[in-house]
Amino acid sequence: MKHHPRARWAALVVLIGLIGCNTPPASPSPAATSSSGGEASPTLAASASAAAVLPEISPDPNISGTLNVWIGGLAQNYYEALDPEFAKAYPNIKVKYTVIDYGGNADNPGLYQNFQLAVTAGSGLPDVVSLEDSHLGQYVKLDALADLTDKVTPYLPFLPGQKVQDASKDGKIYAMAIDSGPVALYYRRDVFEKAGVDPTSLATWDDWMAAGKVIKEKTGFPMWQQAKARNNARTFESLLWQQGLGYVDASGAVILDKEPRIEQTLAFVGQTWKDGIAADNEEWTDPWYAAFNKGEVATHPGAVWMSTFFKSFIAPDAKGKWGVVPLPRWTTDGSDTANDGGSSFAIPAASTQKDAAWAWIQFYTGRPESVMTWYKASDIFPSLTAAYADPYFAAPDAYFGDQEVRQFFADLIPSVPAATVYSSDYAVMNASLSSAIQRFAMGELSAKDALAAAAQEIRDKTGRS
Amino acid sequence: MAPLGPARVAPAPDLDRAAAVPSGLARRARRTLGRHRWPYAFVAPFFVLFAIFFVFPIAFSFWLSLNEWQGTGPMKFVGLQNYAALLRDGTFWNSMANAVILFLLYVPIMTALAVLLAAALNDRFIRLRGAWKAIIFLPYITSMVAVGFTFRLIFDTRSGIVNDALGIVGLGPVPWLDDPWGAKVTLAILITWAWLGYNTVIMLAGLQTIQREVIEAAWVDGATRLQALRYVTVPLLKPVILFSLTLSVIGTFSLFTEPSILTRGGPARATTMPVMEIFSTTFSNLRFGYAAAMSYVVFAVIILATAIQFRVARRGAS
Repeated sequence: MKHHPRARWAALVVLIGLIGCNTPPASPSPAATSSSGGEASPTLAASASAAAVLPEISPDPNISGTLNVWIGGLAQNYYEALDPEFAKAYPNIKVKYTVIDYGGNADNPGLYQNFQLAVTAGSGLPDVVSLEDSHLGQYVKLDALADLTDKVTPYLPFLPGQKVQDASKDGKIYAMAIDSGPVALYYRRDVFEKAGVDPTSLATWDDWMAAGKVIKEKTGFPMWQQAKARNNARTFESLLWQQGLGYVDASGAVILDKEPRIEQTLAFVGQTWKDGIAADNEEWTDPWYAAFNKGEVATHPGAVWMSTFFKSFIAPDAKGKWGVVPLPRWTTDGSDTANDGGSSFAIPAASTQKDAAWAWIQFYTGRPESVMTWYKASDIFPSLTAAYADPYFAAPDAYFGDQEVRQFFADLIPSVPAATVYSSDYAVMNASLSSAIQRFAMGELSAKDALAAAAQEIRDKTGRS
Repeated sequence: MAPLGPARVAPAPDLDRAAAVPSGLARRARRTLGRHRWPYAFVAPFFVLFAIFFVFPIAFSFWLSLNEWQGTGPMKFVGLQNYAALLRDGTFWNSMANAVILFLLYVPIMTALAVLLAAALNDRFIRLRGAWKAIIFLPYITSMVAVGFTFRLIFDTRSGIVNDALGIVGLGPVPWLDDPWGAKVTLAILITWAWLGYNTVIMLAGLQTIQREVIEAAWVDGATRLQALRYVTVPLLKPVILFSLTLSVIGTFSLFTEPSILTRGGPARATTMPVMEIFSTTFSNLRFGYAAAMSYVVFAVIILATAIQFRVARRGAS
């Protein structure tokens, strides 16, 4: 058997492309509170205090340049809609877009591999790059990004604290927030109705579990979809985040095997398999989509971007069938939301057009008018809290049975707990935890041993304590 | 052996011979270069490209393996520390063990099938030989990415047609891709399917160098076809089989596309191959030096495995 190296690389390129098509657009970009140096503050309310005023943009028409803007994870470029306006404000800045899938793991490197290679080579770098908050920390740590502290600071009162923390190292800020991923519980109205369960009665996860058994009995449908051998740890991350937990503590030390609530959470997930209220479907595959579309599953704890995907390609036939309620709580005084995904714009440290690059970023993400333009076109939930005052948020959403879903998610933003799910080693940590959850799901290891194995692996690979 | 260079011509008088007084060796080297300048010029493009794209990366990787480097910023020389750490790296050795298990799962079957198919194709009584050859070779030239995705569908535990078929005869469902061993076996099936044609062609080439009379003599002596294959053809084919096995060792340790698409290395790292480990160490963990050390260890293991193969084969021959 022979693998020609060139053939292998060619195949890899095709593979990246193919998987690119296969992953959802604006891919479940994780987002928020990260270690990379930031201390976790207890609450991350976007304290848009009455005193703070959103900075006015006064365009300097003399700034010139040709910008290369890399945008990850979108099916199409929604920022282009703003180009004519931008051209009026900055007539001497030309913008070239490259839209690439993020990818973000070994078999699907996408934007990250390209960016990494460009950073290593020191050439071919963009002037503006979008990065998922889950991966942002890695590039901050590498010193690959330009210091934007002075430029982003005026926006701090209008951005969720977790976004800033993720983009920071040693008190400096390296990125400007694009979107956030507040998490809630999506539920099928028809399934709950048929089972006679009131979705607003799910105050705690124990309530949720009990309701799951009733729904299973009355309708035959599972309470959620949770893959076993192909688990990707994403739901589990949200469940931890909701409790203010993550892979590491605020000092960066691994806590997977130290924090009893993490083990209890994994045991909780295991219980749903045991009780038969979880469907073993891999995320982002046809059976997973089909269950959502046909209403063969009752709930899904998911981030705001999931509503976008429900409408567009996961469950287009389910108009009016889905609703959203806050996450059930773990304890009565615990949080009822989490974060999953989110992304930010950064300027590579080596860019020679930093002024023009910032002018672009500021224009596209720092103005409520701009933000609303791409939000309405793309449904990508903006981080700029100043935009939430727009009447579009309070408008009912027909897909969700006229529920005011946008306002609902905007209201969750202040209560997202601080947690360290994202860090400079997120990709490694997620891979280790996924493997551990898979071993637990297949009955190979107990919850405790699986988490211990993941923790050890992460320590070995990252040198963390 | 006589030199294959161009016809000898008297060397042109060296104008600055008086100026420089090179040592005898240098003078001889220069004279040789001068005399063979056209052959050297013609082969130079290959060697220049080879040096830039193969020799340099190989040498640089070795240097890298002695350093800590994140792909940017300064390198930190750490000597053999990467190799020392690698000895205790569970996920890396797990991937090496996966490669060995996979090799044992598919190579014996694939090699035997390749010999049988080649022998059948070599039979002068077979019709439509060209068509058969094309069909057998087809998987090799099919996009591995497409194959990977197709196999994912075919072997899906709940909706794949393999389990549908097994269900009809009352078997299964088999958790092909949802079980560590199931995934290894499925990967072995995919690789056997994909690479059988390639190996068959190698065997066929080997068979065609064996004189037909030898095999026919065995038949005349009363050997059955199977006996002739077993006692005459296979021993004569041994060097070719060894060649194909060597390629299989290299191929197995450098598998990437197939497991990346079919199983993404799972479940629980049961099908993660060494190159996948190198890839993620480089591009998601950004430990370039450590990944380079992995590459060198994989390389050393391949060399060792090949050496053992040759040793065993030679002992078998004597």
